[in-house]
Amino acid sequence: MSVDGDPRPAGAIERCDVAVVGGGPAGLSAALHLARLGAYVILLDEAEELGGQYFKRRQGSVLAKHGDFRPEGTSLISAVRASGVRCWTECSVWGVGEDERTLLVAGPEDEPRSVSARAVLVATGGYERSIPFSGWQLPGVVTPGYALHLATCDRIPVGQRAVVAGTGPFLLPVSCALLDVGVEVAAVVEVNRPYRPSLRVAAALAHPARLAEFASYRAVLARRKVPLLQGWQVVEANGSGALERVRIESVGGREAGREYDVDALAVAYGFRPATELVRLLGARCEVRQGDLFPRTDGRGRTTAEGVYVAGESAGIAGVHVARLRGEVTAASIAADLGLPGAAEPARATLRRLRRGEAFSAVTADLYPVPDSLISGLCDGTVICRCEGVTAGQIRAADAVGWNDRNSVKGATRAGMGPCQGRECAPAVAALCGASGSTEPFPARMPIKPVPIRVAMGESAEEVS
Amino acid sequence: MSGERDDTAVCVDGVEVPAAVGQSLAGALHDAGIRVLRRNLVTDEPRAPFCGMGVCFECEVSVDGRLRRACQLHVRPGMVVSTGREHDDER
Amino acid sequence: MTTSTADVVVIGAGILGAAAAHELAAAGHRVVVLERRAPNREGSGTTAGNLHIQAIHTRRPGQPIPADNRRFLPLQLAASQLWGDLEDRLDADLEVRRNGGFMVAETAEQTRELVEKNRMEAELGLRTEVLDGTAARSELPLLSERVVAATWCELDGYANPLLVAPAYLTAARQHGAVVRGFSPVTRIARTGRTWQVSTSDGTWSTPTVINAAGPWIGQVAELGGTRLNMTPVAIQMHVTTRVRPIMRHLVQHIGEGMSVKQVSAGHLLIGGGWPAERLDLSGRSAPSLASMRGNLLQAARILPFLADLQLLRMWAGPLAATPDEMPVIGEVPGAPGFFVAGGTYAFTLAPLWASALARLVAGGSPPLPIDDLGPARLCADAAVTS
Repeated sequence: MSVDGDPRPAGAIERCDVAVVGGGPAGLSAALHLARLGAYVILLDEAEELGGQYFKRRQGSVLAKHGDFRPEGTSLISAVRASGVRCWTECSVWGVGEDERTLLVAGPEDEPRSVSARAVLVATGGYERSIPFSGWQLPGVVTPGYALHLATCDRIPVGQRAVVAGTGPFLLPVSCALLDVGVEVAAVVEVNRPYRPSLRVAAALAHPARLAEFASYRAVLARRKVPLLQGWQVVEANGSGALERVRIESVGGREAGREYDVDALAVAYGFRPATELVRLLGARCEVRQGDLFPRTDGRGRTTAEGVYVAGESAGIAGVHVARLRGEVTAASIAADLGLPGAAEPARATLRRLRRGEAFSAVTADLYPVPDSLISGLCDGTVICRCEGVTAGQIRAADAVGWNDRNSVKGATRAGMGPCQGRECAPAVAALCGASGSTEPFPARMPIKPVPIRVAMGESAEEVS
Repeated sequence: MSGERDDTAVCVDGVEVPAAVGQSLAGALHDAGIRVLRRNLVTDEPRAPFCGMGVCFECEVSVDGRLRRACQLHVRPGMVVSTGREHDDER
Repeated sequence: MTTSTADVVVIGAGILGAAAAHELAAAGHRVVVLERRAPNREGSGTTAGNLHIQAIHTRRPGQPIPADNRRFLPLQLAASQLWGDLEDRLDADLEVRRNGGFMVAETAEQTRELVEKNRMEAELGLRTEVLDGTAARSELPLLSERVVAATWCELDGYANPLLVAPAYLTAARQHGAVVRGFSPVTRIARTGRTWQVSTSDGTWSTPTVINAAGPWIGQVAELGGTRLNMTPVAIQMHVTTRVRPIMRHLVQHIGEGMSVKQVSAGHLLIGGGWPAERLDLSGRSAPSLASMRGNLLQAARILPFLADLQLLRMWAGPLAATPDEMPVIGEVPGAPGFFVAGGTYAFTLAPLWASALARLVAGGSPPLPIDDLGPARLCADAAVTS
């Protein structure tokens, strides 16, 4: 037996000008611009409907009863569908071919597909920056994003009584959305102190529209008498089989800890870019504060030829910037592919992008993640929730003196579960005393678990 | 909790559970009081949806015979869902 | 720069280096282990972890010549015994499972080979059993209808390769061995009967060097003044997400590179020595998609339930192959005190090679004759050219 008896390739290869991976604000905006310039675009998304996280749609009877949610998302999606972009929903990109350009895809019926594009735009968004703490794996502990989607898209309260915690401006709209579906929000627990006068806050004054938005959320919280605690952190979630109690402590321990009897805790410390695909495509990233950011030219070009990145996967900056990045990156792609009608982005667009990115930099400064969140964890805390690996096990593997981060992974299995380290890799790296200058874990295929029948290139009917 | 708008049912571990078409499956199960969807294969702890965006795999269930993340699917009439929430005697 | 002395310097902290270090430290030698990066990160940590006791028959896809399975079998049997109490000796859970294994055939020709293999095994003292397809399926109903025959060997098994070398190192350290990670050897010099082994931060003066550097074995030998004809290759592995216990046995194929088992953590490991995209000794070798498809298709043909599982990860790792596919172990001719240990099936044979090296270093004879496996056959060219 030799490899010459090689099986057929994974499904028929679809060819297009641009493959856009991720149907959120950035991917939609880029796909629309490219299609209008005459490019043949395939837009792939894992979900059943386009929109990504921000423009997630209400559907079916929820839509009929409560009306549309974020209608600008609906119009953007309609425009994309009308523009001739081929939309492949329920399609998960799990790998990249040897040419570093062909995307390997699991289709809606678990059928193998592949897409070969002249340019690949990665708009895979970001995901919430979860920091482990004691009990974070209990049912009832969720990310704020999940609590928000339950409230807004499904109109379902995440619990009867909740604590919303972590850091970031996002905690405020999430808290308001929970109140809106009848959740009693016991407290909003912000680890930083962003809502007090300071020079950093003053920098945000240059962005009055965004400040007004935050002021309105704070007004709702004040009216509903929801305490907004600053300089406090969640240290423990407790309960038998599900969340019953949350313990918070003040940063630095100046005040006595407090406990809340709740059945829901929504907690995260901002977002991190999803860079697995862009790394697999050969683009270089840099590490900042334990998270990876693709290196770009500021207009979506990565270090790998033909590979582009837009939206949150290029750096966390919110929906406005994501759409602008989509537009600007589409212009870069159009120029590089020599599409007729390719043009420089409008100067106003570039100006708005620069302002938006500046605001996000200010925001990032206001909501840092204190190192003590991880270094202060007790040994019994589960770090890798998939494999049930504790901080103590990771520290012990690190302490033998001969392991690096990847061998700590091998020694403990931390990061080896189905989430493939997305939830724990930065925490594992931090516990290993990593300098923060190298990748937490390398990106590998499959990017997400994929049915074996898809990986081997067969549809369900073909395997008896 | 939102029973007034339930317009269909999904079959969860052999039991019919009311749901609304178009709700996320994770949400519909949550609303029906089914919070725990699986047990961790290492620790046997109960687990429930966490990230809600397809990253953590804590909401993985079998839907019509295929492993799917409940947060990524929407309720369709006649869905047959099987969770891993009960202890497995074989282990 | 400091100079220290050691009784033995082991180069390479893969399973062979770790096992040798343990055996020698336990025998009272002052042992230093020098590892270029983190221990157990290359071939030893990326291998399938099979304990191959029934005769080796299959070639890796692309392997030019077969191994001499008749020569291998006594070694496998001796190693099989040593694996029996390894967890007790190291006082560690290595996830060793000895639930037996099948080697399947799909054609009449392969069945003939199975029968022939079974006859040879009996002759050399290993009891295996030839089953027809129906009998094999009644033992392991997961096998497909394509299986027309299988040999069964109750001694086959597997262990967790992520645990074995680290456990050896931990035990070695308890016996006083020093383990230095991230310490690549930069120079090896000889003064009379003493070797000086240098890294960037120190030199060790020692009468005995053990080169167990896996794919770097040739480079390290060259530092010691010997050209060894080794041909490292990279092969790949595939693993599914965890599932409930479904299969207790190791399943191999007599005609094609294939090994499938469910490890104690619940993952199904699918391998068979399929070649990676390329060997990259400076980083991680990249797996090949063609090999992935070939290996998965073949495995799912024999064990159809695999097609419904989820592929979680795949990876490639190096294999320090010799041109004749046989292990290499012994003292380098003309370099007294300089030993090498490497080659194929090192995971299965590690406890045996550790014991052999300890006896050779002490000037005794190994537990069974291995003169023919010495490095002389790989240095023939070097003697001529130098």
